[in-house]
Amino acid sequence: MLAAVDSCVLAGLEARRVEVQADSANGEAKFSLVGLAATSVKEARERVRSAIKNSGLDFPRRRLTVNLAPAEMRKEGSALDLAIAVAIALAEIGGRAPEHSAFLGELALDGAVRHVDGVLVAVRGLKKAGFRSVFVPATDASEAALVEGIEVIPCVHLAEVVAHVLGHTTIVPQPFTVATADSASDVLEHDLAEVHGQEEARRAIEVAAAGGHHILLSGPPGAGKTMLARCLPGILPPLEPGEAFEVAQLRSLLGDLVPGRPLDWTRPFRAPHHGVSMAGLIGGGSGFALPGEISRAHHGVLFLDELAEFQANALQALRQPLESGRVTITRSGGSVTYPARFTLVAATNPCPCGWSGDPVRACRCTPAVIDSYQRRLSGPLLDRIDLQVGVRRVPLAELASEPVGEASAAVRERVLAARARQLERQGCLNAQLKGRRLRHSAPLQPGSRRTLERWAEQKGLTARGFHRAWRVARTAADMEAEELIDDSHVFEALGYRLNDVAA
Amino acid sequence: MTSQPEVRPARARRPDPARLHTRGRWPPPDGPRVAIVGSRRPSPYGEAVAEQLAADLARAGVIVVSGLALGCDAAAHRGALVGGGVTIAVMGTGVDIVYPAAHFQLAEEILAAGGALVSQFADGTAPRRHNFPARNQTMAALSDAVVVVEAVQGSGALITAEAALDLHKEVMAVPGSIFSPLSVGTHALIRDGAGLVQNARDVLAALGVGREVLDDPLGAPSRLGFELPEGRDGMLVHLSDVLTVSAAELARKLHLPVAEVLGRLTSLELDGAVRRHGTGYVRALRRGKERA
Repeated sequence: MLAAVDSCVLAGLEARRVEVQADSANGEAKFSLVGLAATSVKEARERVRSAIKNSGLDFPRRRLTVNLAPAEMRKEGSALDLAIAVAIALAEIGGRAPEHSAFLGELALDGAVRHVDGVLVAVRGLKKAGFRSVFVPATDASEAALVEGIEVIPCVHLAEVVAHVLGHTTIVPQPFTVATADSASDVLEHDLAEVHGQEEARRAIEVAAAGGHHILLSGPPGAGKTMLARCLPGILPPLEPGEAFEVAQLRSLLGDLVPGRPLDWTRPFRAPHHGVSMAGLIGGGSGFALPGEISRAHHGVLFLDELAEFQANALQALRQPLESGRVTITRSGGSVTYPARFTLVAATNPCPCGWSGDPVRACRCTPAVIDSYQRRLSGPLLDRIDLQVGVRRVPLAELASEPVGEASAAVRERVLAARARQLERQGCLNAQLKGRRLRHSAPLQPGSRRTLERWAEQKGLTARGFHRAWRVARTAADMEAEELIDDSHVFEALGYRLNDVAA
Repeated sequence: MTSQPEVRPARARRPDPARLHTRGRWPPPDGPRVAIVGSRRPSPYGEAVAEQLAADLARAGVIVVSGLALGCDAAAHRGALVGGGVTIAVMGTGVDIVYPAAHFQLAEEILAAGGALVSQFADGTAPRRHNFPARNQTMAALSDAVVVVEAVQGSGALITAEAALDLHKEVMAVPGSIFSPLSVGTHALIRDGAGLVQNARDVLAALGVGREVLDDPLGAPSRLGFELPEGRDGMLVHLSDVLTVSAAELARKLHLPVAEVLGRLTSLELDGAVRRHGTGYVRALRRGKERA
């Protein structure tokens, strides 16, 4: 008898339909699996055989052929287990799978249906392809139910699934997960109220949040750069439903979703160690590339501490995503594109020992060492960081006293207002303004233009540096609810730069 | 400051002038020679002092000797050129190799102004760490006095000072802020008896050539050399010439929002009244160039 069941495999954020055909025919008892299955799929034979036997079903004692179509597409992963088992069971019993339904899940030897990564992405893809119902592992049902307009059937055990398909029993579908913001995320782990002093860096962080600008913090060890960076997500608006869905998709691919609570409304914060490889940072792996740290930080904050210690090629690879908000990676299986629109917060010491420029402690580095250290930072990457700020050590006496700075909640109010103004005016944040859009959305007053030009002439500003200051000036004006950019905004913007780290 | 006339350490031997490799005019014209040395990473104050002092001395006919290194050395050479004088660069490499390479232009200007590049090392000698202390001794030997401008403890400038002592040359030092690590070396010299330098006249007096009358002492920040824009000088009194002050510190002192202070500082910077140094700001000192 012949039976066919649908499933899919993932290629990045795309689901590709796979038809699983099972045929049991007269002949020597043998189980062959064909259709360009990778090792992880070939192993399904053993899992499926045991799972069927341990579910109280009969495994065909005849010649059994399972084909995964289309045959020219390489298939990886264990998500096809359930579909293969159901196809075999139906071929033996002589039933038919329901129309427009697909099966996803890994099988344990006892027939239990286990979690697989990327269920959310798969279900979204299946829905687009016209499927009306999908069988998923019960642990992944809540993420699958984020997709509207497709019935989600949570599966606990193979026996139950087969009984449901044959119409003997019925599994209750998972209700659609309504996306509502929870209030649990209101308590901040890192609050600006806890930051001592650092008024300049606080202000810069606020400007970064308001305009979506990337920021570089430079200062000696222990100055509080990490603390400041960790405060940034707390002053950003919560994720929009669409953004939260995109974040959930990427987490689903990596198996990072919290079961039962698939949507997270706080902005991601990723802080990869400086030893991270290029593949780890931008994404990689064999077959199809998996998302890297920059995609995990999508719609959130990517914090790179000790920027100069990162591998040069990893930093170079950041340039495209910083520009376009997404990254395309090609591996043996093909090219995939992942979104990666994040706010970069980079931190660096001013020199290898960290004390260059400190008013009290002497730096032990020679000028040549400092020069080569800072040269690692200069150039194209730095060109894309709008705000560059020096952070100083806070005197110990001040650390002991109660901090007097504003709390994150108050700062967030202002950030939200400034962002709303930008979105209303130009439909994007100021950091994304380039060329013609910058000229159009952020016209300079004749006076402030002259100031900027005078500065450019005197200090030898590059065209990029010129535009950087211009964008930041627009944000400074937005923070004061000013329609026009005046001199004070330009001057403030020009203040966010480091002399020592090339302009 | 003199040392006991004991056995001279071998390392302080006067280098054999016949064995010096030179480029440019050698021997130099007659006149007193003063070495101005200091940190390769001076504060804005140190750099301004080196340049100013060199310019004033050059105007008084002194030949300024230094090491062509970054920081104070380069400032001293530049100052001497600004003052229209002759300057000698004593190098730790062969005279055909300019180190650091960024000073190629400066070396050319020194030669063009009738100065010289000299070295005890053969042509083609690349920069080697252990060659520089020896160079410092040569510098002391070629000078009648050594003035140290900003030096951390253990600085190469102190080697030059020590070598000068051993050769019974005058050693002088410029005082700085007691809060700055760059003053530790110079203050130690002064404590040990080095002459205190406040202006070029002090150096000329020590050399016994104080006949020239200089119009004003060094670095008096009361005359700033530029017009202060209206209403913004309130900031300047809170800034120092030596130690950097950050925008945040200033905002706290003035009870102003940091964004405004940052903007006003940048505006003063555009007018040349303040300078960025590292993560902070200092008052801009008049430099030799601006006075010339």
